[in-house]
Amino acid sequence: MPSPTPALQPIRPAFHLRLLDDHQQTMLRDGTLGILERVGVHCPSKRVRSIYRQHGAVVDDDTGIVRLPPPLVLEAMAHAPRHFTLGGRRLEFDAALDGSAMYVATDGCGTETIDFATRQRRPSCKDDVGRMARVADGLSSVGFYWPIVSAQDHARTAPLHELEASFSNTLKHVQTETVMDERMARYAVEMARVIAGDEAALRARPPLSSLVCTIAPLAQDEGGMESALVFAEAGLPVGFMSMANAGSTGPGTVAGTLVAADAEIVAALVLIQSAYPGAPVYHSMMPGVMHPRTGAYLGTAFDGDLLYPLGVELAHAWGVPSLAGCFGTDAVAPGWQAAAEAPASLLLCALCGAETGSGMGLLESCTLLYPEELILDTDMYHRVRILAQGIDIRPETLALDVIADVGPRGLFLRHKHTRSSLRQLRFSDLSNQPAAGGGYREVIEVAREKVGWILDNHQPEPLDDAQQRELRKILQAAEAESE
Amino acid sequence: MTLQAARPAIEPLRTTQRLRCLSDEQLDRLQEATLQILEKTGVRFPSEKALAVLADHGVLVDRDTQIARFPRALVMESLKTVPRYFRLGARDPAYDLQLQQGLTYFTTDGCGVETIDFKTRERRPSCKDDVAKMARVADHLASISFVWPMVSAQDFGRTAPLHEMDAVWNNTVKHAQSETIMGAVPCRYALEMATVLAGSRDEVRRRPPFSLVVCTIAPLTQDKEGIEGAMVLAEAGVPVGFLAMPTMGTTAPAALPGALALADAEIISAAVLMQLVAPGAPVFHSEMHAWADPRSGTYISYPLDSRGRFAPVELAHHWGLPSLGGAYGTDSERPGTWQSAIDVALDAFWIALTGAEFVTGMGLVNTYTLLYPEALILDDDSYHRARYALLGMQVDDESLALDVTAAVGPGGHFLAQKHTRKHMRDVMVPSLTQSPDAGGHYRDPVEVARERVDWILENHTPEPLKSEQQAELKRILAAAGREID
Repeated sequence: MPSPTPALQPIRPAFHLRLLDDHQQTMLRDGTLGILERVGVHCPSKRVRSIYRQHGAVVDDDTGIVRLPPPLVLEAMAHAPRHFTLGGRRLEFDAALDGSAMYVATDGCGTETIDFATRQRRPSCKDDVGRMARVADGLSSVGFYWPIVSAQDHARTAPLHELEASFSNTLKHVQTETVMDERMARYAVEMARVIAGDEAALRARPPLSSLVCTIAPLAQDEGGMESALVFAEAGLPVGFMSMANAGSTGPGTVAGTLVAADAEIVAALVLIQSAYPGAPVYHSMMPGVMHPRTGAYLGTAFDGDLLYPLGVELAHAWGVPSLAGCFGTDAVAPGWQAAAEAPASLLLCALCGAETGSGMGLLESCTLLYPEELILDTDMYHRVRILAQGIDIRPETLALDVIADVGPRGLFLRHKHTRSSLRQLRFSDLSNQPAAGGGYREVIEVAREKVGWILDNHQPEPLDDAQQRELRKILQAAEAESE
Repeated sequence: MTLQAARPAIEPLRTTQRLRCLSDEQLDRLQEATLQILEKTGVRFPSEKALAVLADHGVLVDRDTQIARFPRALVMESLKTVPRYFRLGARDPAYDLQLQQGLTYFTTDGCGVETIDFKTRERRPSCKDDVAKMARVADHLASISFVWPMVSAQDFGRTAPLHEMDAVWNNTVKHAQSETIMGAVPCRYALEMATVLAGSRDEVRRRPPFSLVVCTIAPLTQDKEGIEGAMVLAEAGVPVGFLAMPTMGTTAPAALPGALALADAEIISAAVLMQLVAPGAPVFHSEMHAWADPRSGTYISYPLDSRGRFAPVELAHHWGLPSLGGAYGTDSERPGTWQSAIDVALDAFWIALTGAEFVTGMGLVNTYTLLYPEALILDDDSYHRARYALLGMQVDDESLALDVTAAVGPGGHFLAQKHTRKHMRDVMVPSLTQSPDAGGHYRDPVEVARERVDWILENHTPEPLKSEQQAELKRILAAAGREID
C-alpha cells in the first residue's frame, strides 16, 4: 500500500546577498572570455570539435584545443534559458527553477556504503540507490534525487540501473551524474520518455536531467560531452560542473580558480547552445582547495565556503540557473565536523539565489554513504530553510493582549494562546529527544532509527506495470548491447 | 625568563554586507508594541531607589505593586541621550574596542557553574582558577576581543563576582565584561578595582576597563540588586547592558514577535532608567530568547526554528542602541558532537550580517552551564570559518592569474608554478579538522582542540599587572570580603 510523499519544502529566502560587485563580476567575465579565446579548452571528441568549428571556434585537431572567440560565446549564451522546470513523476513534485526557491538534492555517486543492517563498510550497490531514493522520497528537504551511490553490482550499465532504482522509488525529479557516453545517454533518454509519458511532457516537465563534470584545468571528457548532447537534443536539462582544486588543478588563489573553472563550464554551455539553441542548461561550480601538506581536495576549507556561493553568482552573470555546491563534508563519520562545515555554505548559496544544490547524505568528500547522514543533513537543511524565510509579525503573533493579561512576574504556560501557539513552534526531531532515564538521546542514534522507520513505513506510489516493464526492457537492451 | 608565545592581534568579524531580517514596517510595529507594553502593562522595579528616580521624572509608579508605567513621550525623550557607539577600554590600549559599524567583536561565554577539570577530566564545580586559566586561553585567541569570566568562582562565596574580575584582569590585557556583579555595594568595589587599573575615575569613564551585563527577569520584572548596581555604574560612565532571556511558552508568549516585544520592553525600561540617572550613560541592548520544550518545559536554546535569534540586533539599532548579540552556547551536553556543531554553525556568520557590535559567547556547552576547555577552541574554529566567508574576495590581476592559467594550459598542473607556492598559504587556512597525523589521515578535531588549550596554557602568559596594582586589588577584595560575606 503506497504512502503519501510529503510536499517539497524548498528554501525560499526572504533576504538576498550579493558577494561580487559589478567591477569584480566584469573582471571575472572578461577573464573567462580571455581564457576561452586565447588558452582554449581541450576537447577530445571529434564530433564536439566539429560542432564548435561549425559555429566559428578556432579548432586545432592535432592538439584537440578549441578556442572560442568572445562573440561566439556571447551569442551562444544569449540562447540559454534563465528559468525552466525539473519535472517530478507527479506535477506537485516539480521543481520550478524560477529564482524564488532553492531545491536541494542528495549527494550522488558515492562508492561505499555503511551497510543498513550489518553496519559494515562495503562497496555500494543498486539496492542502496533504491533504498535511499525511498528515504529521500519521505523527506520534504530533498527537492530532487541524485542516485546517491554507484550501482557497482551492474558493471557498465550501472548508471541506467541507478536510474531504474531511482524512478521506482521516488516521485521526485532524478538527476544523474554518471551517464557518461552517447549510447547510455540514449537509453537514459528512453527511460525518461517512459516516465514522462509523451514527447511534450518530456520537454515541458523533464523527469530526468544530467550533470557532467569537466576536467580541470580546461579539459572536457569525451563521453561526458557526447552524452550531454544527447540529453540536450531531447530537451532534458544538462549541467556542467567544475571541480578545480586551488593549488593543483587550479591556480593557488580563489579568483584564479574561479575563473579557470568558469571557463571550463562556459565552454561546455556554449557547445550545447550552439548545437541546440534554447536547450535548458545549468552551471555548477564545486572547486576545492588543496591541502598543502597532503595534496588532498578539501571541499570545506575556510575559503571554500566562499567558492560555492561565488559560483552561484557567476552562473547568474551568464544568465543560467545554478547547481550550488553545498554539504559535501570531508568528515569521515557523522559528527561535529560534518555539522560544522556545511551550514554556512548552504545558507550563503541560498541567499545568493541558487536555484538548486546537491550534497546531502554522503561523507568522506562525497564518497561514503552513512544512511543516517541524510537525516542529519535534513535537520541542518530545515534550520537553514526556516532561518532564511523571515519573521511573521501580526497581532496574533505579537500577542499584546496576552502579555497584558499575564503581566509582570506572571506565567504564560496556562494561557490558551500559549497552548495553541506552542504547537506551531518547530523543534528538531533529532536533538532534545528525551531519553528513558532522563537527559536527551544520542542524536545520531535517533537519526539511524529514523532511516529504519522510513524504510519500514514509507513506500511511494509505484510506477505502473507498463512503465516497469518498459524500463526493464530498456535495461535488457542496454545490457545486451554493452556485452 | 622564558620566551612567551606572542599574542595574536584580535580579528573581529568584518563585513560590508548587511542582512535585514525585519522590514522598517516590522521594526516600527515591534517598537510600537514595546511602547504599548511599557505604557499599559508596565514593568516591575522592586527597588525603592529606582522607583524614586522614575517617579521624579514622570513615570507612573504604583508603590504597592512596584509597577512602573512609562508614558511613551518620556521613553522617546530619555533615549535621545543614549550614545549609539562607545569605547570599551582594555588594560593594553592597543586592545581597546571602539564599537562601530562593520565590525563585530566576540567574547567568551560566561557564568558556567561546572568545569571538566583541565587535568583529571572529572566534572566538578567551577572555581576562580578556572576563570583565570580560561582568561589566559582567551587572551591568546584572535577570535576573542573581550572576555567574560567563563565560569563562576564558587570558591569565593558572595564575593565571587569580584574575584572573577580579579582573575580576568590578571590574565588578559583585553576588556573584561562581567555578568555577575549585582548590587550597589559590589559594583562600588568593582569600580574601585577598575580605578586601580585605569589610574583615575576620569580614565575609567574615558576608557572603561570593564562593563556589566544585567539580566532582567521575564516577564517584565527587574532584579533589585541588578538594577541598583547598574545605577552606580551608569553614574560612573561604565557601560551597562540589559539582557532579557524570555522563554517562549513559559515566561513569554509562545510566538516570536510577542516574545521580542516583551523582552524589548524589559530592556528599554532599564535603559530609560539609566538615562534618567545619568543622561548620556553608555548602555547596550541584549536579548537571548529560549524556547520551552513542550513536553518537558526544559529550556532550549536551539530548536529547529531559530528565526528571531538575531532579530533583537535590529531592534536595538532601531532604538539607537548598540547590541550585544547572543551566539553559541549549544544545548549539547558535551563538545565535539554533531549537535554542538549544528546548533552554532551559523551563529557568527549570521550575527555579523545583522551588524551586532559585540557578541557573547564562545566556549560553554550544556546550555551555557558547563566548561569543557576545548569547547572554546572548537567554537573558535567555527568563528574563523564565518570570518573568512564574510571577508569577501579579492579580484585583481594577481589573483585572477590569467597568465599562470595560460602557462599551464588545458590538462596541465599548477603545483609547480611559482604563483601557486606564493599564494597557497593564503588560500588554504587549515581548520582544526585538517590536521594530518603521521599516517596522512586527519586527526580528531576534539583531540587537536584539547592539545591547543594545553599548548596555550604552557606557552602563553600575558603581561602581569604591576605588583602595586595586584596588591591594591587584593586589598579591595579583602575589604569587600569583610563587608559582603
